[in-house]
Amino acid sequence: MIPAQHQKLQVMSHAVVGFPTLDENEKAIAGLVEAGVTMIELQVPFSDPVADGHTLVNACYDALKTGGSVKATLELAAKVSKKHPQATFILMSYLNPLYRYGLEKLFEDAAAAGIKAMIIPDMPVEQIEPWLPKLDALGIAPILMVTPNTSEERVAKICASARGFIYVVSRMGVTGKQTQWGEEFEAYVARIRAHTDLPLAIGFGVRAAEDLKALTGTAEIAAFCSKYIEWQREEGSEKAAAKMKQLLVDSELA
Amino acid sequence: MIRSEEGYFGEFGGRYVPEILLPALQELETMFSDLRDDPSFWQEYVGLCQEFSGRPTPLTPLRRLSKELGGAQIWLKREDLNHSGAHKVNNVLGQGLLVQRMGKKRVIAETGAGQHGLATAIMSARLGLQATIYMGADDIERQYSNVFWMRQLGAEVVGVETGARTLKEALDEALRDWAATVETTHYVLGTACGPAPFPELVTYFQSVISQEMKQQALDQIGRLPDAVCACVGGGSNAMGAFSNFLDDTSVQLIGVEAGGRSFLPGEHSIRMLPNTGEDGIAQGYKTLFLQDEDGQLGDTHSIAAGLDYVGVSPILSHLSRTGRVTADSATDTEVIEAFKLLMKTEGIIPALESSHALAGGFKRAKEMSPDQHIVINLSGRGDKDIFNIAHAFPQPEWTQFLQREAKRAQELEEATKGEK
Ligand SMILES: Cc1ncc(COP(=O)(O)O)c(C=O)c1O
Repeated sequence: MIPAQHQKLQVMSHAVVGFPTLDENEKAIAGLVEAGVTMIELQVPFSDPVADGHTLVNACYDALKTGGSVKATLELAAKVSKKHPQATFILMSYLNPLYRYGLEKLFEDAAAAGIKAMIIPDMPVEQIEPWLPKLDALGIAPILMVTPNTSEERVAKICASARGFIYVVSRMGVTGKQTQWGEEFEAYVARIRAHTDLPLAIGFGVRAAEDLKALTGTAEIAAFCSKYIEWQREEGSEKAAAKMKQLLVDSELA
Repeated sequence: MIRSEEGYFGEFGGRYVPEILLPALQELETMFSDLRDDPSFWQEYVGLCQEFSGRPTPLTPLRRLSKELGGAQIWLKREDLNHSGAHKVNNVLGQGLLVQRMGKKRVIAETGAGQHGLATAIMSARLGLQATIYMGADDIERQYSNVFWMRQLGAEVVGVETGARTLKEALDEALRDWAATVETTHYVLGTACGPAPFPELVTYFQSVISQEMKQQALDQIGRLPDAVCACVGGGSNAMGAFSNFLDDTSVQLIGVEAGGRSFLPGEHSIRMLPNTGEDGIAQGYKTLFLQDEDGQLGDTHSIAAGLDYVGVSPILSHLSRTGRVTADSATDTEVIEAFKLLMKTEGIIPALESSHALAGGFKRAKEMSPDQHIVINLSGRGDKDIFNIAHAFPQPEWTQFLQREAKRAQELEEATKGEK
């Protein structure tokens, strides 16, 4: 379930579909749910993921070799959403694979596969706007991003079209590196809050229990993605799930 | 001059970027739309190209070669005579003027053949800017002389090891850098691709080529040429050569893409011919991309690093779809032959990229009559291709020289290590 505004912080984690394999995705997701993660992004691997850092770039390349695709993502979504009704599955993809699939069909098929929200980092709000009636009818929330350099006027525009939650990119740059939390960050979050009643997800640079503690009380959702994928790569999905469980305990979110 | 409709050319173009890059692109667009309508800015730009890069570049008749081929009269627009050895410097000097107005102190660029990177390093040295150049690791190996000079000039050259390690990956990596540094860094995009306003902005600066070409044709031929031919990587030299002729429908415009080894996927970089590129949205813009069914961008190949790219200018996608620009391609083998023919018959050493335009242009010239005229845009000179040409035309003396030189370099390195 997507939390309501001011509910307790929830962790959103990640799967790159096909990484390390399609079979292992299912086990990894079961492990995450078992650990207490209730929101999971299913990332369609892409050849040119320009908003991602090296961890996710390399996971994308590997996933493409093992059969990761839009189709595989929808198939996985159908399975895991049925198996884990308590979790919310969010489709994350760069635009081109979805565009080639056909956006209308994609939205319909994603809804049928149990997808509740969608993050498309290179699809600006202007491109999403015409699709809002369709997405609303299907019950898919387009998750839009704001960044520290987004103007006040644009934040308002984005918040007007956003559904579900606002993805607040914590800092400049791509995924993967640490973020400094502090007064400046708090002021940035407050600036976004002024425009919306939707819950806020903080993404980019959430890598440890300290980060989750820092975000508790500030946001409703924390995206813990690259670091989890690093655990998966280095230690396998089972250990990564155990680490996730410990992380939630350490950050007093269990 | 061609103008977009809010960043689109027909159905192509646009601005599909992560939110973080939008403010900088909007700032650039506002600045550009103010300056392009200010005639004194064009004067400033042309003046800079004159005093720093030797413009106008000549229009050279190829008398001997035209006679030998027996078709149209062939002329070369000599972009190879620019400072830095290619047309890339035109765009870079123009964007340098913008960087000065923005007050940014750092620039980044992607480069394939290294000509755009070299031009950016030159501009940065001249203006006292910090420069980081992203280049595919395979392209570094293919075009090492340009890497050498970029570093000598003070630029940081970052080899990109991901994917096919060529221009596409360099562009991805430049976009990633920009996402982190956009507030203090300008991205000097090197071709007529990427998110709006880059395709239009790069075309605007490169249009100096056809502005001169048109006047020179009127002066030297006495009329407009019957055809203009250019190679197409991202499309900046082609758009530069075509843009002032778009309304002159008597002038045929021919864009020659890299035919590589064959038409098989991964063996060429042809995007505009049937059964090659398809509509896609990536790297910030919509255009014809080589891609698979799932929308994954494909692998490419060309003997010329500067043409070894998966997308193409949205302006050219549009103009080829409407039929105004005719797409053609030349294989690696045809390119080497055209290279040799120009060198031996006219004493001009072309870049391998530009040799695609030669191959396509010579073929076309042979089908035309001697009272017709074709202008081929010679986008760059071939010095950077010394190693590639040495592979194509092996000489034992060259190998022996390289061995001696490697030994000298090794000895020098060891001697200086001892000193430290
Ligand atoms: C000499 C030369 N010609 C052509 C190109 C291709 O680029 P474009 O299609 O943008 O002119 C390059 C690119 O590196 C180049 O160095």
